[in-house]
Amino acid sequence: MTLKGGYFRKYLHCDLSAGTCERLPLSDEIIAKYIGGRGFGAKMVWDNLKAHDFKIDPLGPENLLVIAPGPLTGVYLPASGKTSFVSISPATGLYGDSSMGGSFGVELRQAGLDFLSVTGAAPELSILFIDDDEEAKIIPMPQLKGKSCLETEGIIKKHLGSNDVHVAAIGVAGENLVRFACVNGDWSRNAGRTGIGAVMGSKNLKAIVVRGEADLPVADLDSVIQETEKAMRYMREHKFFHVWQQQGLMSVIEYANTQGILPTCNFKATVFQGHDKINGETMLDRYKIGDSACFMCPMSCGNICLVKNGKYTGTVTEGPEYESCAMLGSNLGVDKFDAVLEANRLCDEYGIDTISTGGIIGAIIEGYESGVVSLEDLDGSEISWNDDGAIMELIRKIAQREGIGDTLANGAKAIIERWPEMDKLLLQVKGLEQSAYDSRVGASMGLAYATSDIGAHHTRAWTIAKEIEEGANWTPRQKVDLVIYHQTLRPLFDMLGVCRLPWIELGLNERHYEKFYSYVTGKETTLEDLLALSNVIYSLTRRINVHMGATRKDDTLPYKVREAPILTGPNAGKKLDAQEFDKMLSLYYEVRGWDENGVPPAEMEALF
Amino acid sequence: MSKKLTVIPEKCSGCKLCELACAIKHFGVNNPKKSAVRVLVTYPHPVVRMPIVCSQCKKPPCEDACPVGAISRSDGVVKIDEDVCISCFRCVEACPFGAVYVHDDCTFPIKCDLCGGDPECVKQCPKSALLLLPEYSLGSSNRLNNVLSYSQMKEIEYSEEGEVKTIRYAEIGKEEL
Repeated sequence: MTLKGGYFRKYLHCDLSAGTCERLPLSDEIIAKYIGGRGFGAKMVWDNLKAHDFKIDPLGPENLLVIAPGPLTGVYLPASGKTSFVSISPATGLYGDSSMGGSFGVELRQAGLDFLSVTGAAPELSILFIDDDEEAKIIPMPQLKGKSCLETEGIIKKHLGSNDVHVAAIGVAGENLVRFACVNGDWSRNAGRTGIGAVMGSKNLKAIVVRGEADLPVADLDSVIQETEKAMRYMREHKFFHVWQQQGLMSVIEYANTQGILPTCNFKATVFQGHDKINGETMLDRYKIGDSACFMCPMSCGNICLVKNGKYTGTVTEGPEYESCAMLGSNLGVDKFDAVLEANRLCDEYGIDTISTGGIIGAIIEGYESGVVSLEDLDGSEISWNDDGAIMELIRKIAQREGIGDTLANGAKAIIERWPEMDKLLLQVKGLEQSAYDSRVGASMGLAYATSDIGAHHTRAWTIAKEIEEGANWTPRQKVDLVIYHQTLRPLFDMLGVCRLPWIELGLNERHYEKFYSYVTGKETTLEDLLALSNVIYSLTRRINVHMGATRKDDTLPYKVREAPILTGPNAGKKLDAQEFDKMLSLYYEVRGWDENGVPPAEMEALF
Repeated sequence: MSKKLTVIPEKCSGCKLCELACAIKHFGVNNPKKSAVRVLVTYPHPVVRMPIVCSQCKKPPCEDACPVGAISRSDGVVKIDEDVCISCFRCVEACPFGAVYVHDDCTFPIKCDLCGGDPECVKQCPKSALLLLPEYSLGSSNRLNNVLSYSQMKEIEYSEEGEVKTIRYAEIGKEEL
């Protein structure tokens, strides 16, 4: 059945090797089963894997990159500016995705497309330019070599003579195939995780440039508007709404420190003495000069900061948000907010993920401290906690693959291969460095990291706050159920192309989204229907990972979480019991209907 | 009393809610490109997010530029008479603010009509970056800033029970050279 709204029923497929771009029809069947965003991405990546007999080098031309907004992206409803970047991850070698805010996806849809897929590799550094309904062009721009993400956006706008285009670009790190390189859009919105920037780099694709002006198809706009009014009113009246507008995710620093989950000095501790020097209040008091919001978002969680004095005078950055500030601040023992801002800016300019960068540098500092990494390994330059000069230098070396940076740029797996003892220091799952919530405090968070399809990231399930608040007497089954619910609902936001923060942070009822989807598409749909589809996609990405060689042995806890108790703070002494975790993992597989090895039944593939 | 649609760029987050609200109100479609207000962003030097919207000038350059006399001002709103307009878009180029817009689907230039006195963008802006203000109050924040700039914030450090603290205070008068 063709839906009345929500889709253009077309996607653009670009083969950079052949130099061709084609608008192809998107079937009603795929639309009905995969909804959009991550769903479309997973389906296309799956089909591509099957066509290559599951033998794909993440950095080879055969790897498919899918950039997919959702049916709600750009629609008049809260925070509808999200787009998923999906591929096989160079960080993990498994399924990978990351989402970007801003307006890039809105523009892509207004060009009359439901998504974009890119394969092959261009003979020289090029950009892909999609100008509304005109034929898309692959334009060689070798002059962009070595340019930072922000420079690239500026140069392209000048080159095309248009401020109206939206740009998603990679920096030097993407060109250099750093395995945690990100894609930077709309100046400073990043698809940060799983190394999608390196996939673009391997394709010689420096940037994707879009401009579009089509009406977005909405079946019942009046009902959307009414529902949006209700949702917006709820959000505006929420007691934390203004804190969000002012501090955004930076308010979480204080919360995480108080709760004892703030990563400090490579997760040795979870309470940071200098927390008040890098928290939201400090940012507001001395650094913030403006707000930044994604499309249609009243919460404006983005902060724009300026350093007004000291050695980093003149540094402007959009951010930091919580993860960046924790991983580049407390996790490196840095109690200087101006240094955090500069590190954040460098990561944005080079185009590397702040979480992975902070995780790796933290482990290197501890490695040097404990003798695992030698001074010679460090090219003769010492590094220690709070040593911002050495930290900036290491960020540069990673992006430019210089000295030790050449190993670090290859990510967690390569680091552990070179220094096997680093396995005890670097927190990672499946090769993806852990994000900034300490799972030793909540077993459900450990399970969430271990079973996430992309590695140790909180995007699939973020259960730690709820477990701290209510979970003291939870049974393992309750924890498993919560993780699975999150892993089903949170990816649904990425399928619909909207941000999950109104729900997770302000408690906006998830039922609003069944109404939004129903009104936009004209097809009466329940949340349960949508969750069921999201659940199938979770099995799909799991089947992808199984084919790529991942099983139970990869659903692990980082060494520190199992063996190294938190040193100080309210949670001192806590770690997760490996045996209990193992039991919980079996239970998780059982509830999901997967076998003891974590493999979903092969018959499921008939569904995909 | 005349009112003026006023923009405070410092408050704008760039969410473009105003664009979509305007387009829906005037064209009934979900398309931010059919809006009479657009947010322009520059980054990182300087960082500005500014909604660009018609000033309803009392001596409108767009009116002067119109070769067929389709543009006129009444009740504080500069209007385009679509029965007369020939869609040459000279008004678009004449506007010194770039506040008149063009869209492929639309025959006529897209220009703010203040929604009959109750602008949708003002109602929907989550940051109060768009305001409808009486004309007599225009410039009042500049006047206040001018007065405040006569004083300087000073910061001194002092020690309390061995702990170094700072206090900020305002001093009035010319800065000492």
